[in-house]
Amino acid sequence: MKMSVKKLATAVGASVALMAAGQAAAEIRIGIAGPMTGPVAQYGDMQFSGARMAIERINAAGGVMGEQLVGVEVDDVCDPKQAVTVANRLVNQGVQYVVGHLCSSSTQPASDIYEDEGILMITPASTSPEITQRGYELVFRTIGLDSMQGPVAGEYIVSQNPNKVAVIHDKQQYGEGIATAVRDTLRNAGVEVAMFEGITAGDKDFSSLVTKIKQANVDFVYYGGYHPELGLILRQARQADVNAKFMGPEGVGNKDINTIAGEAAEGLLVTLPPSFDEKEENQDLVAAFADKGEDPSGPFVLTSYTAVQLVADGIEQAGTKDPFEVAKALRSGTFETPIGTVQYNQAGDMESFEFVVYEWHSDGSKTPVN
Amino acid sequence: MAAHNFKHALFCAVVTMVIAFPILGLNLVARGTRVGLEGADASTIISVFVAAAIVFFFQLYRDTIMGNLGKLPALNPLAGREPMPQAKRVKLESWALTGIIVLALFWPFFVSRGSVDLATLVLIYVMLALGLNVVVGLAGLLDLGYVAFYAVGAYTFALLSQYMGISFWMALPIGALLAALFGLVLGFPVLRLRGDYLAIVTLGFGEIIRILLNNWTSITGGPNGIGGIPEPTLFGMEFGRRVKEEGNTSFHETFGIAYSGEHKVIFLYLIALVLAVITALVIRRLMRMPVGRAWEALREDEIAARSLGLSRTAVKLSAFTIGAFFAGFAGTVFASKQGFISPESFVFLESAIILAIVVLGGMGSQIGVILAAIAVTILPELAREFADYRMLVFGAAMVLMMVWRPQGLMPMRRIHIELKRQE
Amino acid sequence: MQDLLYFSQQLINGLTIGSTYALIAIGYTMVYGIIGMINFAHGEIYMIGAYTALIAITGLATLGIAWLPLVLIVALICAMIVSSSMGWAVERVAYRPVRGRHRLIPLISAIGMSIFLQNYVHLAQGSRNVGFPALIDGSFRFGTGEGFQLSISYMQITIFITTLVCMTILSLFISRSRIGRACRAVSQDLGMANLLGIDTNRIISATFVIGAALAAVAGLLLGMYYGSVDPLFGFIAGLKAFTAAVLGGIGSIPGAMLGGLILGVAESMTSGYLSGEYKDVVSFSLLILILLFKPTGLLGKPEVEKI
Repeated sequence: MKMSVKKLATAVGASVALMAAGQAAAEIRIGIAGPMTGPVAQYGDMQFSGARMAIERINAAGGVMGEQLVGVEVDDVCDPKQAVTVANRLVNQGVQYVVGHLCSSSTQPASDIYEDEGILMITPASTSPEITQRGYELVFRTIGLDSMQGPVAGEYIVSQNPNKVAVIHDKQQYGEGIATAVRDTLRNAGVEVAMFEGITAGDKDFSSLVTKIKQANVDFVYYGGYHPELGLILRQARQADVNAKFMGPEGVGNKDINTIAGEAAEGLLVTLPPSFDEKEENQDLVAAFADKGEDPSGPFVLTSYTAVQLVADGIEQAGTKDPFEVAKALRSGTFETPIGTVQYNQAGDMESFEFVVYEWHSDGSKTPVN
Repeated sequence: MAAHNFKHALFCAVVTMVIAFPILGLNLVARGTRVGLEGADASTIISVFVAAAIVFFFQLYRDTIMGNLGKLPALNPLAGREPMPQAKRVKLESWALTGIIVLALFWPFFVSRGSVDLATLVLIYVMLALGLNVVVGLAGLLDLGYVAFYAVGAYTFALLSQYMGISFWMALPIGALLAALFGLVLGFPVLRLRGDYLAIVTLGFGEIIRILLNNWTSITGGPNGIGGIPEPTLFGMEFGRRVKEEGNTSFHETFGIAYSGEHKVIFLYLIALVLAVITALVIRRLMRMPVGRAWEALREDEIAARSLGLSRTAVKLSAFTIGAFFAGFAGTVFASKQGFISPESFVFLESAIILAIVVLGGMGSQIGVILAAIAVTILPELAREFADYRMLVFGAAMVLMMVWRPQGLMPMRRIHIELKRQE
Repeated sequence: MQDLLYFSQQLINGLTIGSTYALIAIGYTMVYGIIGMINFAHGEIYMIGAYTALIAITGLATLGIAWLPLVLIVALICAMIVSSSMGWAVERVAYRPVRGRHRLIPLISAIGMSIFLQNYVHLAQGSRNVGFPALIDGSFRFGTGEGFQLSISYMQITIFITTLVCMTILSLFISRSRIGRACRAVSQDLGMANLLGIDTNRIISATFVIGAALAAVAGLLLGMYYGSVDPLFGFIAGLKAFTAAVLGGIGSIPGAMLGGLILGVAESMTSGYLSGEYKDVVSFSLLILILLFKPTGLLGKPEVEKI
């Protein structure tokens, strides 16, 4: 009994110690934290692929202040509990910069630890406004906020002069956050929001909701959430002859929605960050991804790339590896990155992050609307 | 007999093929905007055939195999041994327990922060499993919504600290008592339901609590959860780099030592350890008190127990309330460790995991439950690449345990007398 | 008029969902009636039925076969065979060895099986939602002009009719056939039936197979009606169906039908007049309330405690 606990403890201790032992002198360790397994692992893959590419290219170009970057990858399964565990593991390993996490609900508890331990964190994917609203010194992001994306969608809807709008969300942090922002924008513009309602994520039957939308006689429906539910809503709405225009955030904008909604996906409006991989100046980078057989068009690939690059640029600019100095450098400087010119405000958000309204087609392609 | 066996074996093999081949062998994949079908790689197909062949031969020679297995010398060399005398066993056990606790007290100072943090999580699960053990293992009431009480504890602390600035130490008893109150209020009407009905109602209750927490955005923050939950303090000393609360001092400044994040993690670990030990001791004590005996009596034979004058409601309620109380304890520690909680930490799966711990450990047995909590929490950490298979193995282990060893890894043993069989 | 149409539409939505709950609930109720255990893994069997049907439909489409009746029948048969085999195997592996032990033991074994099957499909087919083609499209419309139009889709009618047909066949089967009679005998008294020469193991297996086959029917119908499948949806549906079975009185087949319809309508009305967020709260509260006042459900027989 006694032995087994001791053995286990030693085993855990030893494995962690071994990992830490690999540390060489002249290298800068960057933690990359995101889901490698679990339900959202596909988004985690984008994050890791972008960050790895950035580390490779920066190292090939001579590293940062003569030192090589080394990625320390950890898996948080997008679970707040695991996120805290892996954050502590990163602290263990003497990591001073972290690119991650992916899900807002993981980023939030993990960032408490990073801030306390003096670790600089840049999240390439978490969009909850809350994360940067806590006055933290060391927390940044390379993605827009729900509170930026919502108004873009809201203003677009206002510009279409709808009579009545329904706003639906999936009762999750991401979906409800954006939906609330859209609703507030609409209300401020004097558009009538006939419905503001949550659904249960993972549900399959939306016939009652669709009937309600039909009864409310709205001509625009905004949905805050992800594609599995919106796909079903679109399909069931079409069955029930609802003629309203549907719109959703970037979480619905992937081809999986077409396999679910089929023809009903035609004409869906989606707010997305502009396709960075189509920019002229990124073609070199896109080619590098293609050489490795990876796809840079995912929404978090280039934001992760940028996050790593910002760490490197920040260190160069500060001239020291102290995360607090690097954070100051990030706040004061302007950086040219694959996602455009980055300039940070006091909170750690980018001064501007553009969202574009796209129209989605039933063959999975998209065209910008303007 | 042989022909019958052959037919049966063939049938079993065909069934194996039928249930394995379509799901494993044919994968639905998205091809652009359409769903297509793709054959799995050769190794999967081969393994399906191999599985069918194994089933076939096992069923064909089932009697011979099982017979030979029975003749094998006992795998466990200790099986035939005379049980230790009761007095010696109790003594040995208490020495072992003291040893473990002393070891656990000093251990965090020698290992890394990540391990200590993980150990804290293990201790939280130990508390939860010990609490659920009272309800399921001792009283025999299947509670599938145990996580609700855990959530009540966690949210009580989070809300009290957010709206009233109440500290961890104040919130700890309040959270536990409130969870116990929930247990009492829920338990009162539903306990006259029979076992299976109780299971489904508690499951429903767990879901209701979670949905309410998720929907009541104005108070609980809904899906955004509650952040900025303070860490425990030691006599008004905070462990953070900077002091957050007015009037508190910081630990490293008071003692004039350099700031280290380790202090906080170790302190939290020690709190969890103390609370887990308290939980274990209290429940251990309760088990030997009349109320503990009553739980087991009711579990073993409800009608006999009632005819002996035990109040069914009172006995069941006490088990339910005490179980809920310790879940509240664990919830408060969890909220404090995380610093941020949201409803997604309190889903049904969490209830199932806690139940799995209790079942694997051996219902009713404390040492077994503690070991199972350690195993269930740490094994997936050690074998990260198998993380995807964790739940699969969980499910299979639960079934296998029930089939082969329903008493668990370390079944509870009681003082008992065995009558010599008359020849 | 508008409000009445709206109400009817929600009622129809509720009845459609309710009748599929009833189809799944049969599996719970028959098993409970005979061996007194909750087959927690039944929802997963329904999910596997839906997956198999989708695999069959996709396979036929790849082969270029598009004649609707053929596609439906092939998909239905495939789903029923795989689900039934699964039901049979689950009973053999996880329930038969623990039959007759303390009642918590089969229940925990069933929960383990449910977790296992969920993750089996998750690992084999991935966690993504996969779209299910809408094979039966179109609807009847009532009400004209500007206002609210009542629409009943062909799919809803199909679900309704199929459920009725299945229920009728099942009732006839239970009351007329040899196996049905044996089923009733076993559910009355397992030991006695055994003594009278009924192969009880066989009857119990048959119960699982029938329940699983009906779940497969529900899987195909709901897959087409909703439009997607994922490894987790069986659990939620199973939970609802089980609630329906308990509501109606577990062990009673008409009870399962009644419970399913009540639950479906309650959910639909909650989403229609209150908010979809509280749908599950209402259905679980309904369950708790009914159990408090009628602990054996609406049509269940009061149980005598045996000593």
